[in-house]
Amino acid sequence: MAQNQRRFNVTNHQIPIPTLHQSTTNTTGTDTGTSTRASKTASSSDLSILTRFHAGYFRISLALCSQALLWKTLAEPTTDARALSSIVRTIPSFAFILLWSIALLTLLLLCLLYLVRCFLRFRSVRAELAHHVGMNYLFAPWISFLMLLQATPFLQPDNRLCRILWCAFSVPIVVLDVKIYGQWFTQGKRFLSMVANPTSQITVIGNLVGAHVAAQMGWKESAVCMFSLGITHYLVLFVTLYQRFLGSDSLPAMLRPVFFLFIAAPSTASLAWDSISSSFDTGCKMLFFLSLFLFASLVSRPALFKRSMRRFSVAWWAYSFPLTILALAATEYAQDVKGVIPNVLMLVLSVLSVVVTLALMVFTALKTNDILPHDDPFVCYNIARGTTT
Amino acid sequence: MEQTELQVEIPSVLKQTSCQNIKGFDCVDYGNGNNPNPLENAISDKESYGESIAGSKITKLELQEVVIISLPASPSGLHIGQTKLVLHSEKCENTDQNDTKNPYPQLAKQKKFHSQPILVRENGDRKVVHSEAIRDHRFDPFKTWSGRLERQISNLRGKATQEPDIEAGASERDEIEEAPGVDRYFDALEGPELDTLRATEVSVLPEDEKWPFLLRFPVNAFGICLGVSSQAILWKTLNTSPAMSFLHISPMPNLILWWAALALILFVSFVYLLKIVFYFEAVKREYHHPVRVNFFFAPWIACMFMALAVPPSIAVNLRPFIWYILMTPIFILELKIYGQWMSGGQRRLSKVANPSNHLSIVGNFVGALLGANMGLKEGPIFFFAVGLAHYIVLFVTLYQRLPTNAALPKELHPVFFLFVAAPSVACMAWAKIQGDFDYAARIPYFIALFLYMSLAVRVNFFTGIRFSLAWWAYTFPMTGASIATIKYTMAVTNVVTRSLSVCLSAISTFTVSTLLVYTIVHAFVLRDLFPNDISIAITRKKPKFSKMLSHFRSSSADSKDFDSSISKNSEI
Repeated sequence: MAQNQRRFNVTNHQIPIPTLHQSTTNTTGTDTGTSTRASKTASSSDLSILTRFHAGYFRISLALCSQALLWKTLAEPTTDARALSSIVRTIPSFAFILLWSIALLTLLLLCLLYLVRCFLRFRSVRAELAHHVGMNYLFAPWISFLMLLQATPFLQPDNRLCRILWCAFSVPIVVLDVKIYGQWFTQGKRFLSMVANPTSQITVIGNLVGAHVAAQMGWKESAVCMFSLGITHYLVLFVTLYQRFLGSDSLPAMLRPVFFLFIAAPSTASLAWDSISSSFDTGCKMLFFLSLFLFASLVSRPALFKRSMRRFSVAWWAYSFPLTILALAATEYAQDVKGVIPNVLMLVLSVLSVVVTLALMVFTALKTNDILPHDDPFVCYNIARGTTT
Repeated sequence: MEQTELQVEIPSVLKQTSCQNIKGFDCVDYGNGNNPNPLENAISDKESYGESIAGSKITKLELQEVVIISLPASPSGLHIGQTKLVLHSEKCENTDQNDTKNPYPQLAKQKKFHSQPILVRENGDRKVVHSEAIRDHRFDPFKTWSGRLERQISNLRGKATQEPDIEAGASERDEIEEAPGVDRYFDALEGPELDTLRATEVSVLPEDEKWPFLLRFPVNAFGICLGVSSQAILWKTLNTSPAMSFLHISPMPNLILWWAALALILFVSFVYLLKIVFYFEAVKREYHHPVRVNFFFAPWIACMFMALAVPPSIAVNLRPFIWYILMTPIFILELKIYGQWMSGGQRRLSKVANPSNHLSIVGNFVGALLGANMGLKEGPIFFFAVGLAHYIVLFVTLYQRLPTNAALPKELHPVFFLFVAAPSVACMAWAKIQGDFDYAARIPYFIALFLYMSLAVRVNFFTGIRFSLAWWAYTFPMTGASIATIKYTMAVTNVVTRSLSVCLSAISTFTVSTLLVYTIVHAFVLRDLFPNDISIAITRKKPKFSKMLSHFRSSSADSKDFDSSISKNSEI
């Protein structure tokens, strides 16, 4: 029965959730040998915890880096955030630097762990690259680096070092683009209609964040290039995701928080176009309003998230980043359109994103066990692939 | 031999649907012997009544036979849960005659699958009341709180009605209380508007009787309001636009149409409100219907058309609060429906997409147009953005004609005109938001024109289709295209555009007048403007094959049709 369960998981390309996975490792049959080997390594060394860690953990870095960016934007003197600026300016700049440093350290730690995993468990990394959810999170470290770059309190935007770093971080994004977008329409098993799921929007967000940072640094052409890549694929992806061709089977219930990525993509597009066109024009407004609508739509459907909220997991961190990006877009909107409602919107959304991030940090500190990787979800999958293929 | 007599009696009882007094349910209490033998018929015949008493007295001493008969609610067909012919012979020992309490505990425990209790009217003059009460209770499950509201009201009024056993309809109510899932709608119905019952399906309500008027009043009726109010906008635009001043149209048509539209909206809203109050379950079922749900946007769109069409003699500048009031229900409905598309499950877009979904999109654009007319800035852009994003999704989905999509009609049908609605209103909304008819407004306009042309040249394919009230909803896209052409003429004035405007306006006016004639003919001459609304009366579960067969035989449909339906069903 457990074996059948696991087969079912394999054929449906699901990442087994940690608890489910533990029950499925007690299987009889051909895979017993390897699974006992896996459990032996689990019990033997702490190094195995490090190697069991997967790309989904980069959600934490996304959340923290976007928070740093939000705080920086709010604290900027050019930001005409009436109610918030008085609060924000009372906080010493030391606090921003602290936040930025924490974000940087977390990101570096996660990157290091992932590098260790690459060296020690390369097969799992390959399996992750092939998985329809896992492959999108490979964009996440580069997005985090780009956001940190923009939020840095140390360098000026058009500094030479900044530009070099931008190139260093955008090239992997473009390489991954070529691989993944190319797969969408050329490769047999990985057509877009088969693999599309809400996390695919991270690829789009990667392009748009790259465009945003490039435009801030003054490189308009590269910005427009990445923007067009992002927005075109966003259009295709948006339609495909709304159609839900294969139903919601492709995403396990524990990963429902990633639905919030629907909010993140248009907000990022709005920010990117805002920096390219130097004003929050009608196109930006439309994208911002679309993300507001999607936010309202998701928030009014708590039943969608009920199952995933039963137990704390790293998937909960998926709530933070989209809210922060929405708050950023609201900030830009309030700067351009003066009035009561835009300011209230900015206030509410910023407070919400800060509260959510803080809550997540508290939860993580309290429930460290739940968030640490229990098992490598790609090991058994990889082995099973070896046996079935 | 009483036994054989009893057995002989049974067939004749089945032939007659007369009513007997049954204690409790359709079980016979032989204990006290006061109840007449249910196998005897003829209420009015006192002689046989006496006979039956005698008969029961004799039989109770011998073999106790219990017969439970439930007669079908509708004379036309059989239906799961409504028909169970159970001949239940039980050999009970006639032990304690004093035990009158519950001589048949087994029967009492037996689950009652019967539909209606059979009431007796001993007085002849109350027979009329009884027959009305019977028909009343058949529609109970569709009424608000399953008929309890109506009973309350009639109790308040002082009408003495025989209270039926509440539990009698319990099982049937369970069957009907929850609206069917969307799969059932697609399985049981066919046709471009999903309003014809497949041959193998049975209806919960009697098909050959005229149902109460409120139950027959569909939400499609708001389509008439849409059609007439959009005509009012057309005539207002013809009157006020400077590019069309060569026609010298007077403000009178606008005024007349506006008042007519207002009267219609008030009337239809009032009737539908009554339906919500008295037949809430039926409204719920309409809401779950994949095509009808889109018509719930229609009242608000019609009100916005009225605001757009308001004659200059009545009001020039409308207050913005009207816009907020009208857009709030649209916003809430949108959150629900677009959210369903996004979160997948039963009602995901690839499954339920059909041309009527355009009605839910058009509401956004009409709201944007009205808001821009009133001078609002951000609100119109908000709704324009939401409408545009979802319109792109819907447009691509419908153009793809995915194989998983069952609802698209294979043949052409007036519902396809809804394709023209969204781009024509979107172009007008964008032109108003931006201030002039720029390129971003012209692109949707040309798309609308292209779609209109590609449908207009196929007009001969539209003949031979059964008229329905929903056709009114399909006239407003034509009118919308005409208005958009007039706006375009205002930007680009030359002979071609002017003649195009005149041509399209003439076509739309002609279509609406023809439709008006059709409606009047069907309403007053043929009297079938509101046929039985079968699409809300589908069963929750697929009827069993044997029931399908018997229903089919009784309704004597075409055998070829039957075979094809059976084969279609087996494929599903």
